[in-house]
Amino acid sequence: MIQIENLVKRYGDLLALDHLNLRVDEGEIYGLLGPNGSGKTTAISCLLSLLKYDKGSIRIFGEEMRPDNYKIKQQIGIVLQNVAVFDELTVYENIDCFCGLYVKNKEERRRLVDEAVEFVGLEGYTKMRPKKLSGGLLRRLNIACGIAHKPRLIIMDEPTVAVDPQSRNRILEGIQELNRQGSTIIYTSHYMEEVEQICTKIAIIDHGRKIAEGTKEELKQMIKTGETVTIEAVMLNEEQLQMIKELPHVFDISYESQTLTVRCTTAKHNLIRILDTLKKQETVFGRVYSELPTLNDVFLEITGKQLRD
Amino acid sequence: MIVYKTYMKIVKKNAGLILMYLAIFFGVTMIFQAAVSGDDNPNYQAESVRLQVVDDDGGVLAEGLKDYLGGIHEVSVVENNTAKLQEDLFYRNTEYIVRIPSDFFENCIQNEKPLKVTKIPGAYTAFYVDQQINSFLNNARCYSEAGFTESETAEAIADIRHPEVKMLDDTGNAGEMPAYAYYFRYLPYLLLSVFCYVMGNIFSAFRREDVRKRLNASAVPAIRQNVEGFLAVLTLGVGLWGLVALAGMIMYRSSFLESEAMPWYLLNSVMLLLVTLSLSYLVGIFVKNTEMLSGIVNTISLGTCFLCGVFVPLEIMNKSVVKVAQFLPVYWYEKANDLLVDFGAAGGEVGNTIIQSIGIQFAFAAAILLAGLTASKVRREG
Repeated sequence: MIQIENLVKRYGDLLALDHLNLRVDEGEIYGLLGPNGSGKTTAISCLLSLLKYDKGSIRIFGEEMRPDNYKIKQQIGIVLQNVAVFDELTVYENIDCFCGLYVKNKEERRRLVDEAVEFVGLEGYTKMRPKKLSGGLLRRLNIACGIAHKPRLIIMDEPTVAVDPQSRNRILEGIQELNRQGSTIIYTSHYMEEVEQICTKIAIIDHGRKIAEGTKEELKQMIKTGETVTIEAVMLNEEQLQMIKELPHVFDISYESQTLTVRCTTAKHNLIRILDTLKKQETVFGRVYSELPTLNDVFLEITGKQLRD
Repeated sequence: MIVYKTYMKIVKKNAGLILMYLAIFFGVTMIFQAAVSGDDNPNYQAESVRLQVVDDDGGVLAEGLKDYLGGIHEVSVVENNTAKLQEDLFYRNTEYIVRIPSDFFENCIQNEKPLKVTKIPGAYTAFYVDQQINSFLNNARCYSEAGFTESETAEAIADIRHPEVKMLDDTGNAGEMPAYAYYFRYLPYLLLSVFCYVMGNIFSAFRREDVRKRLNASAVPAIRQNVEGFLAVLTLGVGLWGLVALAGMIMYRSSFLESEAMPWYLLNSVMLLLVTLSLSYLVGIFVKNTEMLSGIVNTISLGTCFLCGVFVPLEIMNKSVVKVAQFLPVYWYEKANDLLVDFGAAGGEVGNTIIQSIGIQFAFAAAILLAGLTASKVRREG
């Protein structure tokens, strides 16, 4: 459905997109994950022809995307990072206005606006102006304005920034529902939990480059870490730490603030082996955690830095 | 036409504000009109002085002098009682005393002896009376030189003392400023306030970065969005201008409708409309919020109106202020208006100056619009 090839975008000396390649298939919720400033929004802006790019090509629905390709634009809905509505109009008028940019028929538009209002749960707020809405409701209005015309492709650029957990869950459920109804979704975020929760395919980008792509399972398999064991232990000496480090499948340990973190490759009984070693040493330990790798681990292992750095 | 409809919806949301500015405009116009164009205009009324005459002559020429002065002042003939006269002068019961001596014609006219007068020292009204008496005496002396007798002289002066003045009335307003001229004088305040505020509000709403992105990413071509926006601005502009023109026609009826200058007043106001529309576009580019818009609009509307002769007539303004005002379009609007008030729809040099003033406004409108478009492009690309 979308094919981006060797996309290059420069802002003066800054290379915002560095030969970016992406491929999105119909029916996917495609997550673009990366820290702030990684190039997600620039990629989206280029995709929508809001920004001129220096090199590369973008094809959507099999056609080249240009600023004047209104046939493609007709089938796209966008939900931007900042709430993009008219403060002077009511909730209903805003949705109607933005839906009207795609749907001319008044009756059909009325039906679509009503459906969008219901979809985002703004039934009781249609006559209110945006300034009277809470942050979460505003975000929902922002989404309603982008999806009311039932587009084939929806591009969402960090739609949950500064949203309370309740509204965030509702938004994420809504995105999955839109996908079930047939829309393909491109979802950018720097919240890995969100991307893990809803995206069927994920591309991790950093410094304008795609550094990994796949399903969340595929991404996690790309890295060495299969399990991270965390143990609260008092007074571990160098000898004890060395013994743990020499255990099979352990490839990295750290000991800070009386907390031992052991990173292991995928294998059975990693936790039991570590605890046995500590018992033999008569080491006193408290709480014990064992975690499967997260996308943050993926990002950390590939780039050497945290996703939220 | 969704963009057009959205513009108009936002205009509708500002209807209260438009009505408020209309009310202020009509209110200010009425108040100024009533205050300035009243019947009593002391600046142009002949000064009437309480004047006493002691007539020791009683001849026909002395009578003529008393009639002459009586036509202008409050004249009372009194006895020659020095103490009483001094008392009246002291208590300001009179401001000027004329003593007509016996043998007035021989002494004062033929022998050119001065007429004895007593007046309040330093009173400016006394100078008027001095001049009037001198004028009378000079005329009488001329007739006397020409061989007129006393009675013939008195008769001749009586004939010339009320010359008929025929005023050249080019404008049909009998030298007065027509009432509708006040209406058009205050028009810049209305147009600047309403357009800069309402249109500034709309332009800034449409220029908000994310709204702009959403519009640009939509299926409506940018050129169509601009055309619809332009149509909306035109609708508001023509609507408001039409309302103002119609209100002027209703309020001033035949005096305005039958005036030859009417099309020129309207053309001048159309040019002002273009200036304010382009200015509101420029304002909309730089405004970030309503508070900022309010401040800018008040500065532009009130500042321009005070500088350019809307609230204070240009002729009584400081010359250096007027020179500065020449760099503002409203000055040229008011200049054309003032010429229309003074000369009506005159041709020749005055007509050319009016056309020039209207042309300068058009140039201002084009320059401001160009500046707006450039600023908009720079912002978009920046």
